[in-house]
Amino acid sequence: MLTRQLSLSAPIIFFVYLFQEAVVNQFKLPGGGFSLFMIFALLWAVISTPEIAALTGFAAGILMDMSQSSGGPVGQWTLIMILVCYGVSYLGYGDGNINGNPIGVIFFVVTANLGAKISFLISGILLGVATGSFSQILLTLVGNSIWTIVITPIVLPVFSYLHNLVFETRSSL
Amino acid sequence: MRYGGESRTRLLLIILIVTALFLITLDLRGVSILNGARQGTQTVLSPFQKAGSVVISPFKNFVTDVTHLGRTRSQIEKLRADNAKLRATLLNRKNADAQLQQLKSVLDLAGTASYKIVNVRVISQGSSQSFSQTVTIDSGSNAGIKKNMTVLSQTGIAGVVKEVYPTTALVMLATDPSFKIGVRIAGTQQIGILSGRGTRSGSLQLLDNLTTVKAGDVLLARGSVANRPFVPGVPVGSVTSIDNSAGQIAQSGAVRFYTDFSSLGVLAVVVGAPVNNPGDALIPPKPVPTPMPTVTVYVTPSPSPTN
Repeated sequence: MLTRQLSLSAPIIFFVYLFQEAVVNQFKLPGGGFSLFMIFALLWAVISTPEIAALTGFAAGILMDMSQSSGGPVGQWTLIMILVCYGVSYLGYGDGNINGNPIGVIFFVVTANLGAKISFLISGILLGVATGSFSQILLTLVGNSIWTIVITPIVLPVFSYLHNLVFETRSSL
Repeated sequence: MRYGGESRTRLLLIILIVTALFLITLDLRGVSILNGARQGTQTVLSPFQKAGSVVISPFKNFVTDVTHLGRTRSQIEKLRADNAKLRATLLNRKNADAQLQQLKSVLDLAGTASYKIVNVRVISQGSSQSFSQTVTIDSGSNAGIKKNMTVLSQTGIAGVVKEVYPTTALVMLATDPSFKIGVRIAGTQQIGILSGRGTRSGSLQLLDNLTTVKAGDVLLARGSVANRPFVPGVPVGSVTSIDNSAGQIAQSGAVRFYTDFSSLGVLAVVVGAPVNNPGDALIPPKPVPTPMPTVTVYVTPSPSPTN
């Protein structure tokens, strides 16, 4: 069962990653833009079991680390995404007020997105990665969060529908 | 938390975290296989990125325009201002080129006759309300210009200095109705008086009733006492028509001035006459007639039936 779900999830994850790299990254949006792939991974994790969420985080992190635009060492995003995805799934799992409610899901995604970015910054500093000026970091964090708030409600029905198709365990949001 | 398979999940989580830490360690230790993996990923992605760039280019430009609306607008305004400035520069350049050509011609004319001149620019056309025809030039007594000095254009006489101020001067054009100049016909040396008529065409009155003049004859300034107001030898115009009416004491005719008074830009005021009279040296060359193309048609009669 898990193998089937993972084999179905893999092409979806890869397609969203491809879309992120080939299309979304082409736009130079104000405030640093957004990461559709991260939104997807976090959404997927929020509405999945912690086990699936951890695996999703791992796959998403690996792909993010493989991206040319990733500044940190390979494995940094992997570690962060595993923890964040598992965390949001663990906190919300079984609670219908969170993962059964679109607003709750959006809140979790936005918070997790911000948490992941901050974790990446902190771990990057610890690993000796240059992070830029404080004002620029603040602007990026705020801008990215606003973009996430805007984009997540738009893509939520699509990703929820796909999740439902793959796992057939929950009704789509 | 009501999830059941906690131990399996925790085990999975630990494995994944250890894997991630292992990857970080490998990368920080410079294991080349990870760099190779990143490069391989980029190799796979690059065709998609190129395709995506081409496909979404119009939309990307639109989004960029929207997000940089204020900047784009200011850039457009700046480009418009630059464009206007360049147009003005180009216009000034054309004007300067035309004036340069006029100046060159004036210098050629004055140099041939060894006139000592002061180059001036026309800065104002005189008002026509007083029915006089004058221009204001940008030099005056400070440049050595005095009243009753000859003013040259690039092709011949333009007028005479009427009033002088420290930095400007008023020039009465040869077309002014009150303008009169003593002229002689090049070659025959017959003399007459040319008067302005308000147009480019002047009125010629010959003084000797025994002389004859014909259309096309060139008129030159005869010169005045002490070379003021007119220096000798300046081309004035050419005869265009002769009035041979009976009862006239002497011949008269119409003369077309060489100077084009509608496009006066650069002039020269003769402040010093030549030691020797230039004579007919300043006669402008006759225009070369443009050959008219001729068409010859050969017609071969077709054989007609005979009855």
